[in-house]
Amino acid sequence: MHRLAPADRPLALLILALAVIALLVLVGPVLIVLLTSFTTSQALRFPPPGLTLRWYAELFDPVRSAQIHKAAGNSLLVAFCTAVLSTAMATGAALAIARSRAGWARLAEGAFLAPLVLPGIAFGLAALMFFSWLRQPPSFALLVMGHAMIAAPFALRTVGASAAGLDPALLESSASLGASPWRTFRRVVLPLIMPGVASGGFLAFISSLDNVPVSLFLSSAETDMLPIRLWGMMETSLDVRVAAASGVLVAVAFLLLLLMDRAVGLVRRMAG
Amino acid sequence: MTTLSRRTLMGAALGTLGAAGLPFRAAQAAGSMTAAVYPGGWDEALRAVLAPALKQAHGVDVAFEPLFAVDQIAKARAARGVAPFDVFVLDPGPRVSGMDLKLFEPFDPARLSNRARLPAGYSDEVGAGVAAQVVGIAYNPKKVARPAGWRDLFKPEFAKHLGLTGFGTTFGTISLIEMAKSVGGSEADMEPLFTELRKILSLVPAVAQPAAMPGLFQQGQIDIMYTNTYTVTLLKSRGVDIEFAVPETGAAAFGTTMHIAKGSRNIDAAYQYIDTMISTPVQAALAAPPYSFVPVNTEVKPGADVPMKSIDDLRSFVTHDWTKINPQRPRWIDRFNREMAK
Amino acid sequence: MTEQGAWRLALPLALAQAAFFLAPLLLLAATSFATDENLGSLSLAAWADVLGDAFHLQAVLNTLRLGAVTVLATLLLAVPLALLHLVAGPGLRRLILLAAILPLLTSVVVRTFAWIVILGREGVINSALLSTGAIAAPIPLLQTEHGLVLALTQIEMPLMLLPLIAALRRIDPALLDASSALGASLARTLRKVVLPMALPGLLAGCTLVFASASTAFISQSVIGGGRLAYLPMLVWQQAMVVFNWPLAAALALTLMGSVLTVAAALSMLGRRAAHA
Repeated sequence: MHRLAPADRPLALLILALAVIALLVLVGPVLIVLLTSFTTSQALRFPPPGLTLRWYAELFDPVRSAQIHKAAGNSLLVAFCTAVLSTAMATGAALAIARSRAGWARLAEGAFLAPLVLPGIAFGLAALMFFSWLRQPPSFALLVMGHAMIAAPFALRTVGASAAGLDPALLESSASLGASPWRTFRRVVLPLIMPGVASGGFLAFISSLDNVPVSLFLSSAETDMLPIRLWGMMETSLDVRVAAASGVLVAVAFLLLLLMDRAVGLVRRMAG
Repeated sequence: MTTLSRRTLMGAALGTLGAAGLPFRAAQAAGSMTAAVYPGGWDEALRAVLAPALKQAHGVDVAFEPLFAVDQIAKARAARGVAPFDVFVLDPGPRVSGMDLKLFEPFDPARLSNRARLPAGYSDEVGAGVAAQVVGIAYNPKKVARPAGWRDLFKPEFAKHLGLTGFGTTFGTISLIEMAKSVGGSEADMEPLFTELRKILSLVPAVAQPAAMPGLFQQGQIDIMYTNTYTVTLLKSRGVDIEFAVPETGAAAFGTTMHIAKGSRNIDAAYQYIDTMISTPVQAALAAPPYSFVPVNTEVKPGADVPMKSIDDLRSFVTHDWTKINPQRPRWIDRFNREMAK
Repeated sequence: MTEQGAWRLALPLALAQAAFFLAPLLLLAATSFATDENLGSLSLAAWADVLGDAFHLQAVLNTLRLGAVTVLATLLLAVPLALLHLVAGPGLRRLILLAAILPLLTSVVVRTFAWIVILGREGVINSALLSTGAIAAPIPLLQTEHGLVLALTQIEMPLMLLPLIAALRRIDPALLDASSALGASLARTLRKVVLPMALPGLLAGCTLVFASASTAFISQSVIGGGRLAYLPMLVWQQAMVVFNWPLAAALALTLMGSVLTVAAALSMLGRRAAHA
C-alpha cells in the first residue's frame, strides 16, 4: 500500500479511521484504570483528585498485602500450568484437525470448542458435583484441569487458524526427505504455527488468570485465587489496590511482550 | 467396570497429578481448621483479629476461604457431605437454606465458654450469632435530601437517584419487604411493591448487582441505595460522600451466624473458633475502626455509626421470619426479573 | 504424521475433555431431567419451564443477539486495525499488538468500574457530549444494550485481533506490492489476496467472540444491569441464589446448545472456504 492510487484513497482513509477508533476503544478503558490506580483518594474514583504512587507501595507491602501476594502466587502458578497443558493438548488437536478432511474432524472441532460456551458457573458446579461423587475433594490438580478445560478451546481456535494454512505438500516433502515426524514438527510445522501457538498460550494463560466461576467451586482455602480476592476488595470497599494490581499486570505484560518478541524471533532464526 | 474401581482409578490418576501441587496440602493436622469468610472487609478483619486470638488462646491455626454466603451453601451442597471447610458464616436467608439442606452439624451452645455474653436467642442447636447487621437507606448528603423512610423511595425526586437490587441478597430482600410494607404490602403480599415499582421504573438510574453498587454510588450514577451500616461506615472511612438514614419505621436488623459444617473433622477446633469470635476482646477489636462490625457481645458497645447503644437494643429493630421468607423467595426473584426486564 | 495417523495427535485433548468436561456435563444433563440434584426421580419440569416460557425464550434470543451484534461491532473495528498491523513498521506493529492485548490485562473486576466511569450519567462520554453542546441532558448509556455492546467490543476485541493478526502474518508483503504494481485496486487486493489468507483467523475470531460475549456473565450483569435479561445471569441466579439446580442445568444446556450451533455453522463455513 505504499503506492496508493487516487481512487484507493477514500477506502484507505476509512480503514485508517476505523483502525484509530479501534485503538481508542481498546486503550481508553485501560487508561482510566491506570489513571485511577494513581489516585490520592481513599477509594476508586475518577477523575482522580491528585496523583500518587501510594497504592502501588501498599500493594507491594509484604505485611498489609500478604494475602494478595499469596493469592497472586497461586493464580500465576495455576495459570502457568494451565497455559502449558492446554496449549500442548490444543496444538496436537489443531494439527490433527487441520490435517484431516474427514467428517470426524469437523465434529471433533465442534466438540472441542464446547467448554467455551457452557457458562463457567455451570461447569464449575457440575465439576464439583462430579468429583465429589468420585470422592475427590478440590485439589491443585483438579483446579488446573478445570481451568485447562476452559482455556484449551481458546488455544485450539487460535492455533487452528494458523494450522489451517499449512501446506500439506511441505510436510510430505519433509517426510519424503527422511525427516522424522518430530523433526518435521520442530523444524517445519512449529515455526509456521508459532504465532498461533504463542497467542493461544497467552489467551489460555490470561483466561485462567482472570477466571472467577471455575475457581469459585474448585479452589480451596489453600488455593485462594487472585480474582476472587480482588472481587471482594472491590465490592466492599472500592479498594484502589484493585486498580494498582491491573497496573502491575499491564507493566509485566509489556515486558513479557518484548521478551516474547525476542523468543519468536529466536525460533525463526533457528528455523532459518 | 464397577463404581469402586472407577473411583480408585480416578483417585490414583488425580493423586499422581496432585503430587505436582505440593504447596497446596490440605490442612488436616491437629490444631488446624478451615473457615469460610465473606470476601473483602470480613476476610481482612478475621485474619487480623480472630486468627491471632485463636492461635494464642487454643493453639489452633485457621485457614480462611473467602466465599459469599450463597457461594458457601452452593459449594457445600455440590460437595455432598465432603465438607469443603469446617465453619460457615451466614446471613439468615442462606442459614435457613443450610438448615433445610442439612448442611450443619448439630450445635451445642453449652460448649461455648462465652455463651453468657450473647443475648438470649443468639445461640441455638444449629449455630451462634457472631455479628449483627443493621439495614436502612444510604444516601449522598451532597446531592439529595435525607429520605425520611422507605415510602420516600417511591417519590420521583428520590426515585431518580435510586439504585435497585433484587431479592438475591439478604439486605436486598428485607429492604424490598420493608418497601412493600410502606405501600400497603406485607411478607405475604408483595403485589403493592411491584405495582409501585412499575410507576418509578423509568426514572430509576440503575437496577444492578449488589457488587456494582459502591462503584455506581461513588461515580454519581446513583445517590440512594439500601444497604447496611457496615458498608456505609467502610465507604465513609474511604472518603465517599455517604450517610446512613434510619427509616421512620425503624432500621431492620439481622444476625450473622456461624455454623459447623456437616462432616467436619475438626469439630473441637471449630467450637474454639466460634467461641473466640464472640469473646469480649475480639468483639471489641472488630467493633472498632477500621472494621466497624456490629458486635453481639453484650459487654461491647457498638461504634458511632450504628444506631444502637448495645446489642440489647436489637429488640426494638424490625426483624423478619426467614422460615416464611425463604419458600417465597424463588418466586419473588423470578417476578423481579420479569418486572425489571425492558 | 500421515493423514491416517493424525488423529492420534488429538487424543490427549480428547481424553482430558472426556474425563474433566464431558463427564461433569453428563451429570449436569442428568440433573436437568431430575426433580433435584440427587437425581431422585425423573422430571421434565425444568425443560418445560425453559422451553415453554416466553420470558426464558426471550432471554435465549437476547443472548444470541448480543453475541451476534458484538461480533459485528468487533469485526468493524478489528479488521481495519489488523490491516494497519499488516502494513505497519516494526515499532507500530508492537504498539498495535500491545493495544490488542491490553483489555485482557485489566481484571474483570476493575473493568466493570472503568465502564461505570465511561458510560455513567456523569461519565466520560456524557461529560464530553454535554460540554460540546451535542446533548442538553445526560443520555442513558450504562445499563443499555448499546453500552453493553460497546463494553463487550473492547473486552472481546483481543479474541478477534490475535487470531486475525496471526493469520495475516503469513502474507508476504511483497505479494501486496506485486498486486498493486500489477494495477489491482486496493479493494481488489484486499478481496483476492488478503481475505483468503485472513479467513481462518477471521472465523476463529468470530467463534471466540460470539462464544465469549454470549457467556460473559460478569460483564452482562454488572455493566448490562438488571433490566437486560440474558441466560448466564439466569443460570447463576438459579444455581447460586435459588438453588434450583435442575432449572439452572436446563438453562445452561440451552445456552450451550444454541451458541454451539452457531459456532459449528461458522466453523463449517471456514472449512468450506479454506478448501475451496
